[in-house]
Amino acid sequence: MLELKNITKRFGSIEALKDVSFLINDGDFVFITGQSGAGKTTLLRLLLREILPDEGEILIDDLNIAKLPRKEVPKMRRNIGVVFQDFKVLPERTVRENVEVALAVIDLAKKEWKSRVEHVLKLVGLEERMDLFPSQLSGGELQRVSMARALVVNPKIILADEPTGNLDWDTADKIMDLFEKINHEGKIIIMATHNKLIIDKMKKRIIELKDGSVVKDSGSKTKHRSEKSEEEA
Amino acid sequence: MGIHLKTARDHIRRAPFQALAAIFVLTLTFFVTTVLAVLVYSSGQVLRYFETRPQIIAFLKNDITGEQISQLTEKLDNDNRIKETKYVTKEEALEIYKEATSDNPLLSELVSPSIFPASLEFSVTDLSHAQEVIDEVKKEQIVETVGFTASLGGEQSLPEVVERLRKVTWYLRLGGGTFAAILASTSFLVLVVIIGMRMTTRRTEIEILDLIGATPGFIRGPIILEAIIYVLVGVITGWLAAFLIVLYSTPSILAYFGEIPILPKDTLGLFSIFGIILSVELFTGFILALGGSILAVSRVKKN
Repeated sequence: MLELKNITKRFGSIEALKDVSFLINDGDFVFITGQSGAGKTTLLRLLLREILPDEGEILIDDLNIAKLPRKEVPKMRRNIGVVFQDFKVLPERTVRENVEVALAVIDLAKKEWKSRVEHVLKLVGLEERMDLFPSQLSGGELQRVSMARALVVNPKIILADEPTGNLDWDTADKIMDLFEKINHEGKIIIMATHNKLIIDKMKKRIIELKDGSVVKDSGSKTKHRSEKSEEEA
Repeated sequence: MGIHLKTARDHIRRAPFQALAAIFVLTLTFFVTTVLAVLVYSSGQVLRYFETRPQIIAFLKNDITGEQISQLTEKLDNDNRIKETKYVTKEEALEIYKEATSDNPLLSELVSPSIFPASLEFSVTDLSHAQEVIDEVKKEQIVETVGFTASLGGEQSLPEVVERLRKVTWYLRLGGGTFAAILASTSFLVLVVIIGMRMTTRRTEIEILDLIGATPGFIRGPIILEAIIYVLVGVITGWLAAFLIVLYSTPSILAYFGEIPILPKDTLGLFSIFGIILSVELFTGFILALGGSILAVSRVKKN
């Protein structure tokens, strides 16, 4: 379970997020949408504890990660898989090695690496390409490597920041099928995107941000500032 | 460890000229340091040689008995400031004189043993005791006069000899130490710069590792390992080059300096000295690598 309570984040005089609150249950698939500059990436960076909120709490299984000591952050991040728009794969490492790095980070016994890596590469459809280097792969395949690396450590939450932003529609569609498959395994997926086609097709919960505030939450049980003001009006 | 070693190896292969620059500077540093260490050792040996060789001669009066000589010899032997007491008879003194004037036989033909005084030759354990020992021996009834043989050229008294030797050794140690420290600092800075460049080129990789939950230790591991590899190669190459040069030239050096044991004459002794130097250099190198890489990492992270 993941919960944001009255999160505010400022960068100087700019309020990137204003009093944002929502609750995401285990197994939820949530799209964070909004225009550029709405606060989607800031929100994901907060969830990954790349940055700290100025106000509010971020609870992952009742643990407030905003108050987590710095040395506990790596341990917390091992429960979160991240998929980036620009893939962020290690260019000098093969597909297999890119995935293995994540296992080395969690200090998993080496004897378990082979089965885990093969399983996850099969899941993303790269089992035939495991010994190739990133420069030998297409954009869609690179995104699959990124997903495989996120999945191999068996995280509870997957954060995806515009994962289809650099892909054509067909490839993006396949990637989304993959996310759906992963979601069926019970993992929380939080995906920042402004791709309307994908959002409409997937029919999942949508949290829409505008100027740092939640203006719409299709599956929320909590009321947000904008909704409150509408009611008051 | 395996993955760190592989990463470090990949970094070295990817930028071989940076790696070579670091290794060359470290090799030069440790080559010069090894040579300086040998020089410092040898200067110490020279000082010790002059401090402990028989330098003081107590010339004895003519009308003394063998018993008196034995008593003084025993007294000197029992003094812990004095070592290697040797009695030189009149006849032996004549032989020494003949040997010294062998290029002019006429000089030795004109003398007889009776004109040479018998003497007691001895050395002191530390030259700083020399003057007080001389003063004490001068007071002995059977002693006519006391002289010293140590001289490097132009000195009028024993303290001058001691002072000159001490100064030479001190300057060598200070100069060598300063030079080695400058070289070590240069190596340290080169390491910091090269590791800093590595960190900058690896920024994306570090960012990815950080985001997927790598600890600072995991991220720093390959960087520290890379610095340790540079230092290991630099230390061993520099030390080996100096060792081979010294080993090759030892016979000539020993022959040139004659009886002064400037270097150990036995192979085991020489190997022991170089073993000690290697151990100290490896330790110093390890500290350089660790300090340099940690400083570089913290500077890049700060920026």
